Amino acid sequence: MRKHPHSRVGPLALAVGVLVLLAPLPLPIHTVLDRLIASGWTAVLIHLVASLPTGRLGTLAMRLVVSLAYASALILLTPLLPGGPPDRLAVDVAMLVVILLGAAVTAMQWLRWRRTSVPGRRSLTPVLSAALVMVVLFLAGNPLWTSTAVVDLTLLKVGLVAVPLAYLANELRTRIERGGVADLVVRLGTTPEPATLQSALAEALHDPTLEVGYWAPESEQYVDAEGRALAPPREPGRVATRVDRGGAPVALLVHDPSLLDQPKLIEAACTAAGLALQNERLTADLGARLVQLAESRRHVLQAAEAERRRLERDLHDSVQQRLLSIPMTLSVAQSALAPDSERARDLIAEAKDMSLAVLDELRALSQGIHPTILTERGLEGALRELTLVAPVPVRLTVRLPARLPAEIETTAYFVVAEALANVTKHANARQAEVRIDQVGEVLVVEIVDDGRGGAEPTGSGLRGLAARAADNGGALDVTSPDGGGTRVRAELPCG
Amino acid sequence: MRIVLAEDNVLLREGLARLLAEAGLTVLSGVEDPTALLADVGRHRPDVAIVDIRLPPTRTDEGLRAAREIRKRHPGTGVLVLSQYVRVSYTVELLEGGANGVGYLLKDRVTDIAEFTEAVRRVGSGGSAFDPIVINQLVQRRAGDDDPLHALSERERTVLALMAEGRTNQAIADRLDIADRTVEKHCTGIFTKLGLIASPDDHRRVLAVLRYLNA
Repeated sequence: MRKHPHSRVGPLALAVGVLVLLAPLPLPIHTVLDRLIASGWTAVLIHLVASLPTGRLGTLAMRLVVSLAYASALILLTPLLPGGPPDRLAVDVAMLVVILLGAAVTAMQWLRWRRTSVPGRRSLTPVLSAALVMVVLFLAGNPLWTSTAVVDLTLLKVGLVAVPLAYLANELRTRIERGGVADLVVRLGTTPEPATLQSALAEALHDPTLEVGYWAPESEQYVDAEGRALAPPREPGRVATRVDRGGAPVALLVHDPSLLDQPKLIEAACTAAGLALQNERLTADLGARLVQLAESRRHVLQAAEAERRRLERDLHDSVQQRLLSIPMTLSVAQSALAPDSERARDLIAEAKDMSLAVLDELRALSQGIHPTILTERGLEGALRELTLVAPVPVRLTVRLPARLPAEIETTAYFVVAEALANVTKHANARQAEVRIDQVGEVLVVEIVDDGRGGAEPTGSGLRGLAARAADNGGALDVTSPDGGGTRVRAELPCG
Repeated sequence: MRIVLAEDNVLLREGLARLLAEAGLTVLSGVEDPTALLADVGRHRPDVAIVDIRLPPTRTDEGLRAAREIRKRHPGTGVLVLSQYVRVSYTVELLEGGANGVGYLLKDRVTDIAEFTEAVRRVGSGGSAFDPIVINQLVQRRAGDDDPLHALSERERTVLALMAEGRTNQAIADRLDIADRTVEKHCTGIFTKLGLIASPDDHRRVLAVLRYLNA
């Protein structure tokens, strides 16, 4: 954070005031010192106007003009030199130079004001207007202009006071604005929405263009409330202020550079909003982590699904096939036995039966790992098999534009299998219907029967299905009024 | 009986070829993918093509699709599909071209050599051979009290299942150790109770029964 520049406006304004009071006006003036004071205060005044509002001379041109103003103070000394011009001429020349330099400074400040952003003008406007008033008064009532002053000298002196007053007013305003931070604290007292926090800060700092970025430690960058990256600005006219808390980055304010003139205001606002910013950062971070969590859960499910498919294939393609060759060979051995080897025949038959029993178990195991028909036929073929073996007539409608992700197919299959098993066991239905429909990026699985209804959604089967649907980011809904049939509806995201 | 065999597992293919040869059947060729199968069936015109369902390249249902293709292209060749699992839906698909010269059995059935070679011969001579598991599933789902199947006696239901598997009256009689005449009597009873028209042709009878079960 940039330090607030130590202001030189105060001493300059004081110098002008003192010099004006001391100036032995009007002419004629005799001593060198009196002449220096009489012409010097205008130079200091030009310096003051040129250095507003910070007290620093911003550009080389400004410095040049101010140097010329101080040099011009010497003009009034020339009549004292031997062979110097008459007083009248020196005064006229000095006046002309001062007016030109004053006009130049005013013009440069006006150009600067025009280039300044809206928030920046807020501090520039009052002092520059005061300076303008001053210059006009000076032109109208300068005692050097004419020996018979048009305007009372007091009026000019009062006018001179306008500059430091305007400066004071500006200082006062910034302090009041810092007081406005209290409102910010009140506004942020209730849990603020991310957008509210940004607008509250924008209001407290009087910069409608202000943007807030929150530190996301995962990605090591600042992100806005929507999670988009917010990079520190590179273009001129935008600057960034870091907000840290306990040495760790919390947020980044991207704002108008004029706010840098009021570092205390930014500091106060950031302190006031610190807790809210920290909360907001944690919320943004939490949101990002939730997204990551959902993503990794999906990956785990996909990996598990792929692994189950692979296992089923491995079992089928190698273990089950090789195992089957054992009873096959035993059968050939059996038929090759001599007719009288009764005992060997019995033992071989026993071994054959045992290996067939193992094969049966393996088949059931493999089927439990992953429904084999899904591997062979995909969802539609697998559902057709389910509806064909169901004891009640089941009408199947499948509307799918393309193959679905494997884990979604499997989940949909289990939903239909379990629901149809319930129809068989409990519903006492005459018929049922299975509908598979893809609506946008959601797969809708619906099983409806005309049975007795009254199914308990808390039963272990339906609860398992609900958990399975939730694991896939979906939801399961069971409607089963007494006597009104049962409708099981699962919605699974499949985009 | 001349046979072309499609099975991608070498161990099984060779075991099966040996088993069939031991039973006195002729294995013309053993192939491992659907393309070679269709080529060999076209060349040899065998009586039966024995086809595993999961064949390369994807090892999903290529064998089943090849079997349907053979039935379409070579009606003279019977097709016997083997699989680690039997499905009602696959049975229905195979029956689309009628019940002549078609079979679908669980792979385990090959270990009962007598039964299996009998099934191969049946399919090879225009008959059918369907797995008891599939038939059982079809019968089981007729669980409703008002279903005509409930009017059948226990014995009649057994005969119905054996008929649906594709067995002849003679085979059913042997299996149940009853007289041919008794089997015929059961058949008449079954067809009357189910409202089916009895056909003297064993092959057509299978289709009628299966269609009834699958209705």
